[in-house]
Amino acid sequence: MISNYFKIALRHLKKNKLYAFVNIAGLAIGIASCLLIGIYIWQELSYDRFHKNAERITRVTWQYNFGDAETKTANTGTKVGPQFRRTFPEVETYVRLLKYPRVLKYEDKVFEEKNFLYGDSAFFSMFTFPLLKGNPATVLDAPEKLVMTQSMANKYFGNSDPIGKTVNVGGTKDFVVTGIVADAPENSQIQFDFIGSFTTLNASKTEKWNEANYITYLLLQQKAQLAPLQQKVAEYAKKVGKEEMQVEGNNYMTFHLEPLTKVHLYSKLDDGLEPNNNIVYIYILAAVALLILLVAGVNYTNLSTAQSAGRSAEIGMRKVMGARKWQVFNQFICESFVLTLFAVILALGLSAILLPYFNELSGKDLERKILFSPLTLGGLLILAILVTFTAGAYPALVLSNSKIIQILKSGFRLTSSGGLRKSLIVLQFVISIFLIVSTIVILQQLSYIQNKALGYNKEQVLVLPLDAKVLDQYDDFKQAFSRSPGVLSVGGAYESPTDIGWGDGLTSVSDGKKISINALPADESIVKTLELQIIAGSDYTLTDVQQFDTSDNGNNIRYQFMLNESAVKAFGWTPQEAIGKKVAKGREGVIKAVVKDFHFRSFHEEIKPLAIFLDRQMLGCFFVKVADNNLPGTLSSLEKTWKQRVPNRPFEYSFLDEEYNALYKTEQRTASVFTTFSTLAILLACLGLFALTAYVMVQRTKEIGIRKVFGATVTDILTLVSKDFLKLILISMVISIPVALYAINIWLKDFAYRITVEWWVFPLAGLLAILIAFFAISYQAIKAAVANPVKSLRTE
Amino acid sequence: MIQLEHISKWYNTGAARTFVLKDINLTIKEGEFLSIMGPSGSGKSTLLNIIGMLDAPSEGSYQFMEQSVFTLKEKQRMELYKHNIGFIFQAYHLIDELTVYENIETPLLYQNIKGAERKAMVGDILDRFNMVGKKDLFPAQLSGGQQQLVGIARALIAKPKVLLADEPTGNLNSKQGEEIMELFKKINTEEGITIIQVTHSEKNAEYGNCKIDLLDGRIQQHIKENSSL
Repeated sequence: MISNYFKIALRHLKKNKLYAFVNIAGLAIGIASCLLIGIYIWQELSYDRFHKNAERITRVTWQYNFGDAETKTANTGTKVGPQFRRTFPEVETYVRLLKYPRVLKYEDKVFEEKNFLYGDSAFFSMFTFPLLKGNPATVLDAPEKLVMTQSMANKYFGNSDPIGKTVNVGGTKDFVVTGIVADAPENSQIQFDFIGSFTTLNASKTEKWNEANYITYLLLQQKAQLAPLQQKVAEYAKKVGKEEMQVEGNNYMTFHLEPLTKVHLYSKLDDGLEPNNNIVYIYILAAVALLILLVAGVNYTNLSTAQSAGRSAEIGMRKVMGARKWQVFNQFICESFVLTLFAVILALGLSAILLPYFNELSGKDLERKILFSPLTLGGLLILAILVTFTAGAYPALVLSNSKIIQILKSGFRLTSSGGLRKSLIVLQFVISIFLIVSTIVILQQLSYIQNKALGYNKEQVLVLPLDAKVLDQYDDFKQAFSRSPGVLSVGGAYESPTDIGWGDGLTSVSDGKKISINALPADESIVKTLELQIIAGSDYTLTDVQQFDTSDNGNNIRYQFMLNESAVKAFGWTPQEAIGKKVAKGREGVIKAVVKDFHFRSFHEEIKPLAIFLDRQMLGCFFVKVADNNLPGTLSSLEKTWKQRVPNRPFEYSFLDEEYNALYKTEQRTASVFTTFSTLAILLACLGLFALTAYVMVQRTKEIGIRKVFGATVTDILTLVSKDFLKLILISMVISIPVALYAINIWLKDFAYRITVEWWVFPLAGLLAILIAFFAISYQAIKAAVANPVKSLRTE
Repeated sequence: MIQLEHISKWYNTGAARTFVLKDINLTIKEGEFLSIMGPSGSGKSTLLNIIGMLDAPSEGSYQFMEQSVFTLKEKQRMELYKHNIGFIFQAYHLIDELTVYENIETPLLYQNIKGAERKAMVGDILDRFNMVGKKDLFPAQLSGGQQQLVGIARALIAKPKVLLADEPTGNLNSKQGEEIMELFKKINTEEGITIIQVTHSEKNAEYGNCKIDLLDGRIQQHIKENSSL
């Protein structure tokens, strides 16, 4: 019996190619979207769970306010780990990690390695990173020991065994390779190519609460101890603050324990080992995947029901031959399953093809084999069964319930399910219009971010990281760079103006008023290079540089400040009043200029008070403003200059506008996800509409024939047919607009600087939907309208 | 075998009742070959559908092989129907996606007959109808007469006691029609299967051994034991 069902299902699909195509292709697209997004979400949710001790590991974070501004950071001092283990019996062991890009040299191979970690000796017993060679207990138990991944071992040593060999790190120390470790899985917050022993670091010799540069992980004896320990830690931090850190008055400091498995999706701290994701985006993606599947499922339900008109004779006959209701129902469920199965197979192929594109979209690096893992295939089978029943049950029910006598007399009529079909079309277009509106607004906000005047010029500026060795020859570098062809200006600062993170406090000497600020040490050319706008006072000069007094171990330093408007306002001054006033940031200084507010953090945050101060000893990068012609020539000239002076440092650069864009990576990713999937949704919805019109046209052939005989024109017929569908789309518009408005405003609220949603977005989205839908409808409608009525009437 | 008493069927159109059948009393004995005749709209097909248990009357009782059809539970009625009644239509109503063989086999599937037995039964009837060579063709590849032949084979496969035919030759040319009617007569006389056919054609009615004339839902004339036979 079953084989009979399958046979007829296959033959039926072969016979109705449009129906089969729309259903299988539509479902396949829906399932492929679901599959890819599902794998992505699975990856994100499984983050860091592969460690055997995952539930017992926690990251220590630090929150404090020492009188300037509140700071929350994932970085802690060297003392936290060891002191917590001594103090709290719940702590079994600890690992401190420092990520520090280093230049590695083995024989003639020299590379800058960005994924270089320093870690405590418990690293391999706390985390589950299997060692391929070496003893986990001893590989990091003494200074200058080094573990590298398999791929790095191949890079430096080729086929020979690296164990026992020495590698030069940073030009100063020789490390002995003691172990080889498997590459870290994709879903790990700890990503590394090398791990050197923590005890190598000078900082490891003294334990300090401050100088927080280290990520500290604790391994607890039991999972359940986390919450009580958090309480004890908070108490303890108060005591430490008072006794060791001189925290007084309104100031405070405390530590928090974040479960390892919650860091990636829930932590609000962005200064950990790698950028985190946000659980909200996981929810959004899951919703989008479900919506797409829903749209495809609706196509299936609608088409099967509509198409059952053609099956009426068969169903009638089967019942005449003694088929029971449930037998007919089973047959159609079987058919639904066959179709879904085809769609699943197609979806697997589609996903395999689209995976690289999806990786680009999601910023993941998923491999094809994950698509064919038993887990994925099992999940797909469950999904297929689910789709079979949710999408297939209704048509099967309608068909099996139909009365024989009705069918034999007049054929099956669509009217019985018209209400449901219409609601489903409305649902599809509500989803489509919602996605279109969201896409338009997201793209508008992104373009606003791209094009809003930032207060500095991010175009044509190269950023070159520099370190102590380069800083020693700063003047020489600067002059040589300035002489290079195409270079307009060279400046330097501690970090890039796209994202200034240094938090500090600033006090007015005259009245003692203190404000929280962000601070940026810079050289004298910063204003010119970044095109900042001075609204009062004057720019730094070389004289200012010469007067910078570093004698007496820096005690004679008098800072020259440039404040932004917000800082001046926070003090209660006008820009003109501020010039020449004395302010102190640790050491005293004068305000030399006031610059126009510029966006030195992402658009998510308001522009806060900022103090730029002249200090050429604290620079972290060069800014090189270049002309836009002959960039390659300029770059090669810069590289030559670099190589001549510091041959051991790789020449690396980025563009300021790229760094700027990197701030909005999540937003850009969201935009691409929405663009892709809203296109898919509207495509699927229209595909469904296209096929549905085809069936409705068959039903109405006779009606149209009669109308034509009595003088209806093609336009009349087209209007007649389109009217019904367009009405549904208008209803969808009315429903989806408030929903979209609500959702999009939640998203926009996250930006301190944002667009206002313009009213025309909604009619535009609706119009777009109507236009596309009209094309889908009109092909079939015109075909029916121009057909010769004699033909359609003769068959009766 | 079949006894209809006071069978009426009506539709409510507004306040008025429109009768399709009115007070039909009819007894059909086993082995009869009855033709139901009458103009369009006289209620022929409705009567046939009621006899075939596909439709229910508004009023009246129906005994089929000593069982009161409309007091039976649906499941029992279905069983009674499945094992005793075969249907043939004017438009053949073959399933387009199934081959000749599969079309004939389908009723057996619904009677849960085992594969080997099914094969034997279908093979047997294909042989009898001289259609072995056509068993793998689809309906669209056959002529109208051949399609109706398949329809008859399908109706007979489950060995019914009664064969109901609604204008079986309506879509066929006269030669094909004659062949079908000859076949009916043969089935009736040689196998003793009761046949009830609805027809427009006096000539086709001649093949039967009794006939009724319907007009506006009433039996005008009941001729038993056709004298021409």
